[in-house]
Amino acid sequence: MPARNGTSAFAACFNGWVSATSALTAGRLNFEDAAALQEHFHANGWSDGLPIVAPTATAVGACLEWAGLSAGHIVGVEPVRKRALTAEKIAINAVMAGCLPMHFPVVVTAVTAMLSEPFLLHGPTASTGGSAILLIVNGPIRNEVGMDATFNALGPSDRASTCIGRSVQLVLHNLLDVRSGGSDRSTFGHPGKISFCIAEDEENSPWKSLAEERLGDPFVSAVTAMAAMSPRQVMNEWTTEPEQILDTFVAEIRANMAHYSIWPGNYAMVIPPQLREHFSAAGWTKADIRSYVYEHARMLRKEWAECGKGSVVADKGDREYAALPDPDHLLVVAAGGPAGGFGAVVPPWLGTRSRAVTVPVGACVDC
Amino acid sequence: MTIEVLDPTYEESPSSFSAASRVGSLQGLTVGLVSNGKQNTVPFFDAVETELRQTYGVAEVIRVTKGNYSAPAGPQIMDDAKRWHALVAGVGD
Repeated sequence: MPARNGTSAFAACFNGWVSATSALTAGRLNFEDAAALQEHFHANGWSDGLPIVAPTATAVGACLEWAGLSAGHIVGVEPVRKRALTAEKIAINAVMAGCLPMHFPVVVTAVTAMLSEPFLLHGPTASTGGSAILLIVNGPIRNEVGMDATFNALGPSDRASTCIGRSVQLVLHNLLDVRSGGSDRSTFGHPGKISFCIAEDEENSPWKSLAEERLGDPFVSAVTAMAAMSPRQVMNEWTTEPEQILDTFVAEIRANMAHYSIWPGNYAMVIPPQLREHFSAAGWTKADIRSYVYEHARMLRKEWAECGKGSVVADKGDREYAALPDPDHLLVVAAGGPAGGFGAVVPPWLGTRSRAVTVPVGACVDC
Repeated sequence: MTIEVLDPTYEESPSSFSAASRVGSLQGLTVGLVSNGKQNTVPFFDAVETELRQTYGVAEVIRVTKGNYSAPAGPQIMDDAKRWHALVAGVGD
């Protein structure tokens, strides 16, 4: 898969701009007014409960034109149900989610990542475990589309993050029937299933970006998708020692292993500026952090007995489990507002059944 | 003036398939039980196997487990299934 930077790479995949609106093939629906439209979409289960933006041909065509994608371009095929998802249908859902055309290349990249084999999309979206899809955006495109990696990084930080994250959920909802009680069998789910998208604060970070670490390109714009449980916030403002700061994160990871799932997989750690300063002063890189967490985020199976799970300890009590199969399974992300010694641990859905996938923006799988 | 919008759902027709022919009586047949691999399928399928053998006279019960309970059965299971008269795909949690 060639890695190309920026939205213009999409255009390079095709011979010139497409006449987007004339090539649209989706069915047309007519409504007397906006209220009737909203009610029809909700009545048919086409929304997540929030109002949607009307997916007019003009708005959808603008998304396709921005990305340089033809309406019928197949972004990917869902591996289990074998459904081919077209750019047009994805754009319709992106518009509904509130996306502007400039957001659309990020949405397409996110969907591409979700549809790749290692992600095993069917698993996390159907599971009773109730995970959401965390998107982490890196590179120049973050700033081009107006993503904010600082205040409220894991909340409603900005329009682009919210709408991009919501887009992939509506794509699942409407194109793969991932609806509550349908193929989505989540017992609880979590708020990230509305939208779960963040940018990395590369400008204020001493480290390589997540995308650079995973793709080897310092200038790449990319999206990393991870099947993720809800974030668990930690706090340690009472030390400047990297090991002690990380011990707090490790304690949270170990708690997740005990209380939720012991199986190793991708974890994401979100580190804010106040704590990044301490790592930077001590000369710690992301690789150092990954190494430390890999070595320390472990537990013995018999520790399950301390939280009511003694019945499944059996004769494996002294077996050690690591949270990470290897250090590279830890996604270290710089984000968060300027003040506060907080941090967040985002656990995986279920071990390595689904693996985090990073795709460059503009990568065209069939060029 | 009306508002015209585009259908957000998957509009392609699903690939056609037909249900396998029904076997009627299970007497003397071979039945496959495909577990998704979760722990509680074991006692559940134990009971199903007993019921199939004792109540319905099934001659042979083949127990197999998927390699990944979130993915379709692998090619080996799909190939083996061609030799069975019936198959039960079970989800245990």
